[in-house]
Amino acid sequence: MRAGFATLLFLALAACSAQRPPLVASDIDLRPPLPGTQMGAGYLTLTNNTEDPITITKVTSPQYDAVQMHESVVENGIARMRPLDSVTVPAHGSVTFEPGARHLMLMRPTGSGAGVTLHFLSGDSLVLTLNVPGKD
Amino acid sequence: MTARNLFIAGVAIVAIATGLWFSLELATPPPATRSATVFPEPGELPQFSLLDQHGNAIDRSVFDGQWDLLYFGYTNCPDICPLTLAELAKARQQLTAAGADAPRIVFVSVDPERDTPDVVAKYVAYFGDANLGITGDLDQIRKFAKGLGIFFAKGREEGGMYSVDHSSVVLVVDPHAKLRALFSAPHKADDFVHDLPIIMARG
Repeated sequence: MRAGFATLLFLALAACSAQRPPLVASDIDLRPPLPGTQMGAGYLTLTNNTEDPITITKVTSPQYDAVQMHESVVENGIARMRPLDSVTVPAHGSVTFEPGARHLMLMRPTGSGAGVTLHFLSGDSLVLTLNVPGKD
Repeated sequence: MTARNLFIAGVAIVAIATGLWFSLELATPPPATRSATVFPEPGELPQFSLLDQHGNAIDRSVFDGQWDLLYFGYTNCPDICPLTLAELAKARQQLTAAGADAPRIVFVSVDPERDTPDVVAKYVAYFGDANLGITGDLDQIRKFAKGLGIFFAKGREEGGMYSVDHSSVVLVVDPHAKLRALFSAPHKADDFVHDLPIIMARG
């Protein structure tokens, strides 16, 4: 499912009156597990418009048992997946989750639909939900 | 110059031109692959006793009669495995659309614990109708993989989930069940579309 192409979701980190949203999620592409399997993958780009780094410490989803941040690496011809404890979007920078690299692993679907919640650590802990509209 | 000398000169020119033509012909190398490593000598495929995605017993003879692209992975690999298989499927479509012969895609599970024939059947069908899925006894898979230089190892189990590290190469097997070439990751459909006809033309 490619839900992100038409939708830029502007996520307000706080009740913020700034012109530009502090964090923008784009190119959101959540792929449910293939037939017969239990693991799906999620891809997106996060852009930080603030002066401070923004760190994601956890990802959850109402439609999956668990979501983990992972990185696929190929070293000496061996494909491996490494779990990532946290991912930091640098100040005025962006971080990409993309095929063959950093990705969200969507584990064991429990319901239909698609949405993930990114949990951030930036002073207070904040929870933001990506509402990905529609499902193919 | 006498007529005889003229004749000799003519013969010499023809001889030189012919020699030049032969040496040019012989010096022209066969078209080169841009991504695949082609083995100088075809390699023997190890013998094995495993199951196809329909639960039928199969052995090495399943590779007789058609070109195959052989990839080891597991169905619960959410990122690299489906990406690779999608690129192989795309290459197959492009080769077929261009009127070229396209190898069959063969997926060998390195996680038979979860990848039963049923699971593998649904999985390989997602990437096309003509694909072959192989699973079965773990020791047999190990033996087959080892004979091909394929590594895999189950990772640590955590919350009922584990991943499997595995070699990311795609192997090219000829219709006589001989190993002919390999593609290293990252895999791109274009590389297969470019290289496969070159490899397959060598017969």
